[in-house]
Amino acid sequence: MIKFGNGNLRIPKFERPVYVVAGGLTDYRKRYPEKNTSQLCTEALRMAVEENDLKVDPEEVRRSVNWCVYSQFADHFGDQLLAAAKIHDYLGFDPLGNIEVKTGGATGGSAVLAAAQAVASGYASCVPVVGWERMDEVSTKVGNSYIASAACKDFESELGWMYAAYYALMAQRYQYENNVPRDTLARIACKNHEYARYSPYAQNPGKYTVKEVLENDIVSHPLSFLECCVMSVGAAVLLLCDEETAHRFTEKPVQLKAIAGGSHTLRTADRRDMPILLLPNETPETYRHYFEERRDSWPGFSSFLASRMAAYLAYNMAGIKDPLTDFDLLETHDAFTISDVQTYEDIGLRPYGRGREFIESGDAYFEGRLPTNLSGGLIGTMHAVGATGIFQIVELLWQLQGHYDKFHGDPQLWRRYGKEKPADWRSLQVKNAKRGCAISHAGTGSHVTCAILEKV
Amino acid sequence: MSIDWPNTVLEVVERKPLLVKNPKTWSHIHSYGGWGRFFDGLRERKILATHCKNPACGEKRLWLPPRCECPDCWHETAWVEAPQRGKIYTWSVVKYPGELFKLPAGTPLISVELEGVCTKLMSWLKEGKPEIGMPVRAVFNTERPTHTILDLAWVPA
Repeated sequence: MIKFGNGNLRIPKFERPVYVVAGGLTDYRKRYPEKNTSQLCTEALRMAVEENDLKVDPEEVRRSVNWCVYSQFADHFGDQLLAAAKIHDYLGFDPLGNIEVKTGGATGGSAVLAAAQAVASGYASCVPVVGWERMDEVSTKVGNSYIASAACKDFESELGWMYAAYYALMAQRYQYENNVPRDTLARIACKNHEYARYSPYAQNPGKYTVKEVLENDIVSHPLSFLECCVMSVGAAVLLLCDEETAHRFTEKPVQLKAIAGGSHTLRTADRRDMPILLLPNETPETYRHYFEERRDSWPGFSSFLASRMAAYLAYNMAGIKDPLTDFDLLETHDAFTISDVQTYEDIGLRPYGRGREFIESGDAYFEGRLPTNLSGGLIGTMHAVGATGIFQIVELLWQLQGHYDKFHGDPQLWRRYGKEKPADWRSLQVKNAKRGCAISHAGTGSHVTCAILEKV
Repeated sequence: MSIDWPNTVLEVVERKPLLVKNPKTWSHIHSYGGWGRFFDGLRERKILATHCKNPACGEKRLWLPPRCECPDCWHETAWVEAPQRGKIYTWSVVKYPGELFKLPAGTPLISVELEGVCTKLMSWLKEGKPEIGMPVRAVFNTERPTHTILDLAWVPA
């Protein structure tokens, strides 16, 4: 869509407030044969109901549930159609109604959106959102092929059967237009691998130098392995409630102020030029000098219209004027270093063409202006696709409740996953964090959701 | 009567935890439907695109990959030949392709900019080293077509 009608840009509205009260995770691994998918989902649910300091016992939570939302990206990875029905049964929620959501990499974000819609409309008052992915039944090469069947199978999948290659095409164009130093991109990878070192859930933690990231083997030029997300097995659970239930369950409810979704063509190829959709912190003046010989169109291959659309709706829904100052925390879908820089621009942390400054200024780091992916993100911690968007919001919830240390620093928790808490572990708890944002992202930007959480 | 136990057994990959191998060997019979014309065109060394037939529609440019209906007004489109010379809009060399890739690792992928076309077709470079802005011309696999998008490629012009 190039021209918007008034209805197209209507700002979404919740009929009543929506709260997030509890979250649970598993650890994430490349292979997890020790546990089947139902076990992983149950483990995450138990963490949500048993370890989030709820004022009610798990049985009372069960009695309060009246709708469930399930989140799995790919039936062919799990090789089980209607897996949600099986998980729902194993979690003991029969005969309550449920729905399974699928929007590629943004499945988790969309599942939270669906649950929020149920609570906000009055349809439900207590909704668990359960996400998972089991990506270890096939080899990595077949796994990449499965993921690439989420590209257009008629005109694009055959070209590589590899999603990293489709992002690499965008990366090369972004670099041609904006010339970001390779070091800057590598620093994103270093940052997220580093933050993953403090997370007991993380699959791919590590202390890497910029040089090591750049000298790492290339997947698809210019992206190195260390600049790409992991392929994971694991689950994540989030509990959404209405106001009354939230206050009954917890002393520390966090409000889901807004969540909104945008979309764009599955094929990057089909992205036609259009005027830039402006965020509340931008004016036409922001882009007076943006277009030149190399930057000849928007969104082109350098920007994600779906992310811009989701941010536009969510920011207006939550009254966000300037994301850089209004948010204390951010979780992005850092599937690749380059897409992270693109996202910084799409969600208005810097104007288009200047995303690199968000990293170079130090803003994105712990104790910077807007710490980003303190969870370790998709590069360092996990990308069990159906769980990912939920995992991001669980991590935000814990930060906003002041529970980072509880859920990352407890040596028992590390041992639960067969790990030792590192001797140089440090707390990434953001002091007095009030408001956080999470971006869930699919395809080369086919679906994106933007969620905004606020401490009550 | 007594029915025999099955002859087909699953291979045990590991005993603890129990891992078994589920073989998958069947085919999908896929229809290109209305897009089939595009693949027929490649065998005649033509790049067939479509454009909207509705005179009131704002989008006058060509769609490539073709669309049978216009996404802006939902009207039918008409087939028309697209230019066979264009420029590289972006590129990457895929070093670790996924399973099913029919070309060697190290094949350059490209997105091609063509005059009068509103999209940037993803394709591959058969000869030479890719560079953004590089002029290229289309070549066609007519001898042993794969009947996929790989039957179209580009070489330096």
